[in-house]
Amino acid sequence: MVSLSHVELRAGSTTLVHDVSLEVARGTWCTIIGPNGAGKTSLVSALAGLRALDGGHVSIDGQRLDHLKERARARLVAYVPQHPQIPTGMSVLEYVALGRIAFHGVMRPPSSGDRAVVDGVLERLALAGFREREGTSLSGGERQRMVLARALAQSTRVLVLDEPISGLDVRHQMDLLELLKKEVAECELTVIATLHDLTLASLFTDRMVLLDHGRVVLDGAAHDVIQSEEMQRSYGVALRIVNIDGADVVVPVRKVYP
Amino acid sequence: MRTPSTLRVLVVTVATIVLLVLAVLLGLVVGPTSISTQRIVGDALSHLGWGHSTLTSLQSTIVWQLRAPRMVLGLLAGAMLAVAGGTYQGVFRNPLADPYLLGVAAGAGLGATLAIVNIGNGTSVPAWTPLLAFGGALVAVVATWVIGARGIRSTPATLVLAGVAVSALFTSAQTFLQQQSSTQSIARVYIWLLGSLASASWSSVEIVVPYVGVCVAVCLLAARALDVMSVGDDEARSLGVSVRSIRLLVVGASSLGTAAIVSVVGLIGFVGIIVPHIVRLLVGTSYRRILPLSVVFGAAFLVVCDTLARTVMAPSELPLGVVTAVIGAPVFVVILSLRRWGTT
Repeated sequence: MVSLSHVELRAGSTTLVHDVSLEVARGTWCTIIGPNGAGKTSLVSALAGLRALDGGHVSIDGQRLDHLKERARARLVAYVPQHPQIPTGMSVLEYVALGRIAFHGVMRPPSSGDRAVVDGVLERLALAGFREREGTSLSGGERQRMVLARALAQSTRVLVLDEPISGLDVRHQMDLLELLKKEVAECELTVIATLHDLTLASLFTDRMVLLDHGRVVLDGAAHDVIQSEEMQRSYGVALRIVNIDGADVVVPVRKVYP
Repeated sequence: MRTPSTLRVLVVTVATIVLLVLAVLLGLVVGPTSISTQRIVGDALSHLGWGHSTLTSLQSTIVWQLRAPRMVLGLLAGAMLAVAGGTYQGVFRNPLADPYLLGVAAGAGLGATLAIVNIGNGTSVPAWTPLLAFGGALVAVVATWVIGARGIRSTPATLVLAGVAVSALFTSAQTFLQQQSSTQSIARVYIWLLGSLASASWSSVEIVVPYVGVCVAVCLLAARALDVMSVGDDEARSLGVSVRSIRLLVVGASSLGTAAIVSVVGLIGFVGIIVPHIVRLLVGTSYRRILPLSVVFGAAFLVVCDTLARTVMAPSELPLGVVTAVIGAPVFVVILSLRRWGTT
């Protein structure tokens, strides 16, 4: 269970996130949506324990993140940033193995158990053939899969992702989200992600939280949030929701000029 | 593109060790008094109880009391400056970082100038010089850390900028002191600033050995953490690395070791920047390979440079900092054209 209690985040005198409280149950995929500047990235970085809170607290399975050292926190929650940095010269294997640092520490090499976890993740994410390839030489889709593999190698119950499919074509977007969905189903992983693509968000998500100006405007099942008028108001654009084979497709409506 | 193979890393490691052995022999054999390698090796073995020495007492003194401490100090200085440079490049994720980035050079320069101008009589470098240089270097680094690393918004960039500011301040103070002093003192300061191993002795080796030993060990132990930190501070923290603690530890160790070396041998440039880059070109970007090989290669490189410094214009001696700059600058230009660092 991931729990946010009265979370406040500020940057100088500007409040980015106002009094947000949420509870996300184990094995749930919760997507945070909202227009640019809504506070999504700030909120997920706080959820990953990477940002000091100006109020409230975040806890995972009853453990407050601000009371934990980095190493203990990395064993509870893994984080995929919006723009991951891939070091030049680092192989896919070395990069994914970084996910095991919280287990073997920075002074010791990975154990055989750590190596087995990394091999398993590489296999699951169809990256085994790229083990010795340099991470920077991969395509955008393969690279994002590699970043996800590093996060999964952390073997945490909670995975926080900030715009994991930005910059990918539709096939790679689908591939990555399907992989995540499989992990949620098979490993009871709790996923908290931000997504801009509302159609894809509604396709894969159990629960959706609409954030606007740092406040939770709506929180509920994906279908209900997508259909709501609040969403159109928050984005400031008219949207048509078309149901195709049971899936909600969000189509923006162009303005009509006289 | 594939990462460097194990075989390639092994070949480079063996070649670097061979280079180190050759540099050690060069440091012991080359000099105005001709003594063959076999006789020096035979004398060394006789000290270990194998065979007997064929060196005269004078030759033995030349080899073991003049050349050997100079060679060993060169090894220690080269190893420390190279590993400190590599560590700084990793911890600041900045390919232009060198061991003097946070003000060690400016602080040591001010300390040495204070000693030479205020304590010395202008005709010799006073005995207090290393101590004041060491103190100056530490004060500068601590000032940089206090200014640049406070607060949650501190980043590697704020620390580097603080280093630039502190260096500028200390250099201005040094320039002012020099302006107030005699021509002889200014000449002494410049000789010190250009670096030299000429005054090396076993006692100077004894002074720096503990610092270099501990500081090199800390840097090597932090190599894996530096690899993790190459993904950026936030990602490294999300992976479980205490970035602030590691940065404090390795910056402290690199700066302390560099300060100890600089206080004894003066300012020797380029070693800390070109050695890690050469190693990086050969074995890739992992600090677990770069740092240990930089220790070995840096040690060999500085001894070779010192041998050139004392032989090229014999009987006079070139400042060691000039030799490393003459070799280092063109090598750095070549490295720039082949560069391979950073993140995407």
